[in-house]
Amino acid sequence: MLDYLTLTVALLAGAGLFLPLLQVFRTGRENLAGYILALVLAAALVLIGLFTLYPSTVPWAGSLVRPDQIGGVFALVTVGVTLAVTIASFDFLKSTNKPVYYGLLAFTALGMVLLSYSQDLLMLFVSWELMSLPTYVLAGFDKKTRSNEASVKYAIIGAMSSAVILYAISLAYGLTGSTQIVAVVAGFTSHPSALAGVATLLFVAGFGFKMSIVPFHMWIPDAYEGAPTTISTLLAAATKKAGFIAAIRVLLGVTTLYAVTRSPLFTMANVFAVLALVTMTVGNISALTQKSMTRLLAYSSIAQAGYILIGFVAFANAPGSSAAVLGLTGTVFHVINHAVMKGAAFLAAALVVLQLKRADLKAYDGLGKRMPITAFTLAVAFLGLAGVPPLSGFWSKLILVLSVANGPYTWLALAAILNSAFSLGYYAWIIKRMYMDEGESTDRVKEPFWFVLIFAVMVGLIIGIGLFPQQVINFASNAAAGFAG
Amino acid sequence: MSYVLSLLIALPLVAAPFVYLATRANRRLGIYLSLALSIAVLVIAGYVFWQVYSSPPAGGQYLFQERYSWVSFSSFGLNYFLGTDGLSSPLLFVSALLTVLVIIGSRRLIDHHEAEYYSLIFMFEGAIIGVFTSLNLILFYIFWEIVLIPMFFFIGVWGGPRRKYAALKFIIFTFAGSTIMLLGFLYFYMGMPSPSFDIPTIQAMLQAGQIPVSLEYVPLLASFIGFAVKLPLVPFHTWLPDAHVEAPSPISVLLAGVLLKMGGYGFIRISIGLFPSASAQYAWVFLGLGLFSMFYGAVAALLQRDLKKMIAFTSINHMGFVLFGAYATLISGSVLGIQGAIFQMFTHALAVGSLFMLSGYIQHQAGTREIPLLKGLGTTMPRTAVILVLGAAAAMGLPPFSSFLAEFMVIVAGISASAITAISVLVPVITAGYFLWMIKRTVLSPAEPGHEAHDMGWSDVAAFAVYLVPLVILIVTSYLILTPAFPVAQFLKGLP
Repeated sequence: MLDYLTLTVALLAGAGLFLPLLQVFRTGRENLAGYILALVLAAALVLIGLFTLYPSTVPWAGSLVRPDQIGGVFALVTVGVTLAVTIASFDFLKSTNKPVYYGLLAFTALGMVLLSYSQDLLMLFVSWELMSLPTYVLAGFDKKTRSNEASVKYAIIGAMSSAVILYAISLAYGLTGSTQIVAVVAGFTSHPSALAGVATLLFVAGFGFKMSIVPFHMWIPDAYEGAPTTISTLLAAATKKAGFIAAIRVLLGVTTLYAVTRSPLFTMANVFAVLALVTMTVGNISALTQKSMTRLLAYSSIAQAGYILIGFVAFANAPGSSAAVLGLTGTVFHVINHAVMKGAAFLAAALVVLQLKRADLKAYDGLGKRMPITAFTLAVAFLGLAGVPPLSGFWSKLILVLSVANGPYTWLALAAILNSAFSLGYYAWIIKRMYMDEGESTDRVKEPFWFVLIFAVMVGLIIGIGLFPQQVINFASNAAAGFAG
Repeated sequence: MSYVLSLLIALPLVAAPFVYLATRANRRLGIYLSLALSIAVLVIAGYVFWQVYSSPPAGGQYLFQERYSWVSFSSFGLNYFLGTDGLSSPLLFVSALLTVLVIIGSRRLIDHHEAEYYSLIFMFEGAIIGVFTSLNLILFYIFWEIVLIPMFFFIGVWGGPRRKYAALKFIIFTFAGSTIMLLGFLYFYMGMPSPSFDIPTIQAMLQAGQIPVSLEYVPLLASFIGFAVKLPLVPFHTWLPDAHVEAPSPISVLLAGVLLKMGGYGFIRISIGLFPSASAQYAWVFLGLGLFSMFYGAVAALLQRDLKKMIAFTSINHMGFVLFGAYATLISGSVLGIQGAIFQMFTHALAVGSLFMLSGYIQHQAGTREIPLLKGLGTTMPRTAVILVLGAAAAMGLPPFSSFLAEFMVIVAGISASAITAISVLVPVITAGYFLWMIKRTVLSPAEPGHEAHDMGWSDVAAFAVYLVPLVILIVTSYLILTPAFPVAQFLKGLP
């Protein structure tokens, strides 16, 4: 039987290894590496899609990675975003080192795919690094001061979070004698100890940096603003999601931190609930005061991480219940939707940066006349992010809120709802600037073909999933049920 | 299974992009196409209205039902579920009628971005019909939110000088209110023994006593916030004067004539219809709030200099009657309250709609809407003045306009709940007072010399007749609305 996962890994690794060689040959076709990578990623997308939708009944032999459904969802999302970023880079990237850029993108994609399927803490750590290291370089690819500053900042924080994760892994191995995630989680649950609690919290912190959870979010706005905007797209819409799958696998099984403080209040559900509340509130309030689009998107992305965490609360509160499955379904579904909506918004911002050479909000005044397709994409993405029906973001937020609507966490549901309403304050404000304010000029600005193509696909997904959510919900629900049961 | 209601929702929504393309290609073609389509929708709405009148569904039953599963997984189920009864059919009809009149009235008052304007009108119409026909709470919420998007652009793109501020204020206020309402629905759903979002299913469970009263309080409060913002109820009303003053006049007609009805409809269909026991317990609070809104709207209208702002506060005053009447039925058991509330929503839409449209004409022709600056309309613009007097008479509830009957029914129901509420008869008195004072200052005052103004043409007079003539006819044929409203009122009264 043909092993699809090995084939996918081989494709991506091959692209990562051989694409930079095009630099040496100087073919004269600048974007050749990009075209090849786009084809490779599309092929990987098809392969992952095939074995996620039609899972093989043959049991997987290895213990390091296993192609299960929830991993498949995250692999699809991250590879899909990387594909969109690659296509947008055809026009966006102005560099003499294009093949290297695309090679690094291939490695990041490989890291994210392996991370999605990791069943072992060592595998998880290795793929975590494989995903992260290329992005440090990519964030500084502009060779401008700001870009380099973003890169260094990101690299230092990233190295720190890796160290924290590694320390947590060593504690876990010392306590349970295994690096298999299932065994570690079972060990933590059956023999709770203070050290197990500390290890759990270290995992929360380590993954939290990538998931952009407050208080581990400080680096996000600076890095997103300084990095080339396509790479910000990758960080916000893809690597962040990889942080979530790691957290789902490692943290969702652990339900109690009782041993740390001996207080019954100190449950994982409460920890997640507080993190979710703080993350969405801080993200939304900070977003309201931003002057630059990339920073605004960065804070909005932080706020969305808070919504995604609500599913964790429902799951940790009553594992095995229908609300738990509902919550995890919402998390998985919102991850998919958020990747599409935030990807669309960031790429629209990238096109504005590319064509108008500026990222401050003034550039968006009257954009509806200058770049109608970009403005429309941004408006749809923003309404979706705010959760306005019938767009895709509405459904996932609905499921998330529903999972905690009646029970001990009704206050969290209320907070999420109020945050959504509050977030419309800045989303509608940008829409107002684009369609109601007068811009500096009303001349049409060119919108390149590749960008328009991505925008069309993404807007189609946001509206299409909004009108016909059943299939995607089934997909997310099956993945969640498979993980929970 | 019938497809009439789906057609009624889908026709405007599908028409919107075609109207956009047609208007871009040729302005006249676009406007005529819009007119033809809106009349087609009106004909279908008229058919629905007539059917509901000629064979009124029993209480808790709905005509033209459609039900398909839309989204379902694990413990979550959501249906595309439509239906209509004596509560929603008058609102459907009046929404379709006002859309036609707004399109007629817009051709002179809207002069830029016309393609976008006419297509958004249809998006608005489709969504509002969806709100009034949804029998599933989530579907209801979805249409409820879609209504916001065209209204945001109407105010923000075609509005007056402070349009951007008013548009943002409008969308944030109403979005915040409605998301809280949604949370109430979700809380209610998760607490039910066998969860459902379908209104008839929930009502059947209520009648069987399967839903504990303790579950009703949170959703009642949450939905109250959502509907109170829309109605609007003092103190949730502050977005309304801003939105009305800045919105172009045809949009004010839609805002007052249709959008505010969403609040009144929500109170009757959902607050009373789904949380009856909790509603009955707190009926006095709602009654008091309605009464306060009536007085506040009337007194605030008295103080306005801007004609349009005055009419906007009249809306607050009139919509207070709706809440007052609906809850008076719960206390006294007299069906007149809910019947009167439904009738009041219908008459208010036409009476205040005509006044808003008129304020647009006056501003267009005379250059101002300030009441003290408008002088001698009786001599300079005689036809406009006549319409203004008639519209004011309709708004203050003077017979033979049927607004008289609606307010009368509501007040009678209030008195049968408690004699103290008899003070509500003062509200029409104040209303008559400020309208007459306005007429004295604008119509009966001497004209300033050298002030030229163009009167409206006979075609416009004909358009205004469409607002006012039905109001006169309805005082004789009030059974058209009251007969189908009776089983609804009877049913709602019996729920708690």
